[in-house]
Amino acid sequence: MEGLQTIRPELLSISPEQLSALRPYFIIFGGTILAMILSVVRWMNPKWPLFILVLATLFAGIVDSFRLVPEAPLTLFNAMMISDGYSHLFNIVFMASAFFTVMASFRYLDREKLQYPEYYLLILFAVLGMMLMVSAQDLIVVFIALELMSLAVYTLVGFRRADRRSNEAAMKYFILGSAASAVFLYGSALLYGSTGTTGIKEILSFIQTHPTSMTPVYTLGAWLVILGFLFKVAAVPFHMWMPDVYEGAPTPITGFMTTGLKAAAFATLIRLLTSVGYGKGLSITLQAHLHDILWVSAVLTMILGNVVALTQTNLKRMLAYSSIAHTGYLIVGIIAGSGNEMGYGPVVMYLIAYAAMNLGAFIILTVLSSRDDSGLGLHDLSGLSRRHPWLAFGLAVFMFSMAGVPPTAGFAAKYVLFYSAVQANEIPLVIISVLCSAISVYYYLRVMVYMYMRDPSGSPSVNRIPVWSTLGIAAMVFLTLQLGLMPGKVVLAAKKVASSL
Amino acid sequence: MDISPVFFYSFAAVAIAFSGMVVLKKSPIASALSLVIVFFCFGGLYAMLDAHLVAALQILVYAGAIMVLFIFVIMLLNIDAPSLDTMRAGRLGRFMIIALSIGLLSLFIWAFKETTPPASVGAFTPQRIQEAGGNTRVLSELLFSEYILPFELTSVLLLGAIVGAVAIAKRRST
Repeated sequence: MEGLQTIRPELLSISPEQLSALRPYFIIFGGTILAMILSVVRWMNPKWPLFILVLATLFAGIVDSFRLVPEAPLTLFNAMMISDGYSHLFNIVFMASAFFTVMASFRYLDREKLQYPEYYLLILFAVLGMMLMVSAQDLIVVFIALELMSLAVYTLVGFRRADRRSNEAAMKYFILGSAASAVFLYGSALLYGSTGTTGIKEILSFIQTHPTSMTPVYTLGAWLVILGFLFKVAAVPFHMWMPDVYEGAPTPITGFMTTGLKAAAFATLIRLLTSVGYGKGLSITLQAHLHDILWVSAVLTMILGNVVALTQTNLKRMLAYSSIAHTGYLIVGIIAGSGNEMGYGPVVMYLIAYAAMNLGAFIILTVLSSRDDSGLGLHDLSGLSRRHPWLAFGLAVFMFSMAGVPPTAGFAAKYVLFYSAVQANEIPLVIISVLCSAISVYYYLRVMVYMYMRDPSGSPSVNRIPVWSTLGIAAMVFLTLQLGLMPGKVVLAAKKVASSL
Repeated sequence: MDISPVFFYSFAAVAIAFSGMVVLKKSPIASALSLVIVFFCFGGLYAMLDAHLVAALQILVYAGAIMVLFIFVIMLLNIDAPSLDTMRAGRLGRFMIIALSIGLLSLFIWAFKETTPPASVGAFTPQRIQEAGGNTRVLSELLFSEYILPFELTSVLLLGAIVGAVAIAKRRST
């Protein structure tokens, strides 16, 4: 028996290609450190320089990630991390979502008297966590990145410290989120115990070569890992935290959570699902169990999200429930993922489209809300088309898109997603999804009715629209329509990156 | 490697008993102190598995540093038993919680009973670790070569947590 070799020389150096693949991460981390230094200088007000620096960092990261998407997969750090199209495509989504969130936040923070540098720092930390999580190839790294992302977002949710709802939301989210992290961690420990490795790819190859190692403990571990992430994406029955948290969080942060955080959780969930052997035809029991759990969860999520959203009169809360409903559609895509020719591509496409339209909607809500995030009831929208015709038009585009009306991104994404589910022979599931999305048209259109067909009630105030928010809204409207009219390129890209999983 | 059954069962029994106390005790300080005992028992179990470094760290970090932090927080917040009474679940709620816990526990017991331990032993047997220079050396070498990414990321995580703590706790001059 040869001795242990604990230091492998090849792990101690980083090749130029690896360094280049790591550049987006370094850009974001370097930007964070710079921003941290900038925010403690005393001889000037760091507000503007910090804002510009954060935007520049995120922009540089996005540009750099675009360069890396078509590159061949490259494993890093002893195969603990992978740089492939899948991770870089999602990195773009996270960074873009943070970019527009920061843009929308600038004047919002002024108005709420919350203009503190920590806000931007925490957004950058959360983005770094998301990027690392989606490129992680090891359960330990997934866990650390998950915590990095979550800790930053818990704090951001409670950023309006003077507000009771914000505090309550942060506390709820923190306690439930920590419990979910613990569940995930315990699941990883069980997976490690039964396979002897924490690597995502290694777990899969181990159970492929040792089919007998799919023991009950292994199955339990796989469940717990998946359940931990079902909490993060707020699938029923783990959705209870979501409406309160979304309502209590500062509005731009709610937008960030529904786009960036959700995409990150789903992207990682897909990686984990494939790693525990879902859809590889390894074990009938595991396949059937996970399939049934996801099936029930998807149906409940769609029905509950859509039905409860019908009764909401606060826009933020309505969008929270609609976000639960969209989680349901996404799980449908995940169920279908192993059985159609597009793989998980439709889910990727849906996440991108959802990010574009939701981010836009939340930027508009940020502009419309009055102090302390109030004034977001449906009645406050009455006659919006006369006060702010362009804002009303933007919100209308996003609502049509969420309802899945052509020619918007939401339609293209839903079409691809449901088509993939039909291909995977999940006909009952598709019928339920389509019915649910028919229900959803009601509450999305109600927003339109208030905006265009009601007279303004009371003495509505005309808000000044910050130029940064205008830019953000315009970009999102453009993206939503672009994805709806010419989805081909993104669909192909999504299919391509998903095929490498 | 064989674990002395006497020690194993006594450590395990004490750990379980005090874990129960953590949940059942009404006073937060008593719960926290019961947790110290649980941590010590875990330390003992790790030591019996020849993981001396982990055992020492368990005592130092968990029973030492983290417990002090717990007790600080409890004392600073000045939580007493009556203020927690308002948060107790009703009778139905309590029944459901107990039923759910027992169900989960039996699921875990069943799963572990059904599973046979893996036939192959991993690379890190106590004997080979001894030959390679002992626990501390092997662990630190692994930490800085194979596990360098998670190791460094932990520092980033802590940095993020500090910024978060500052954001929550800093007194604002408004």
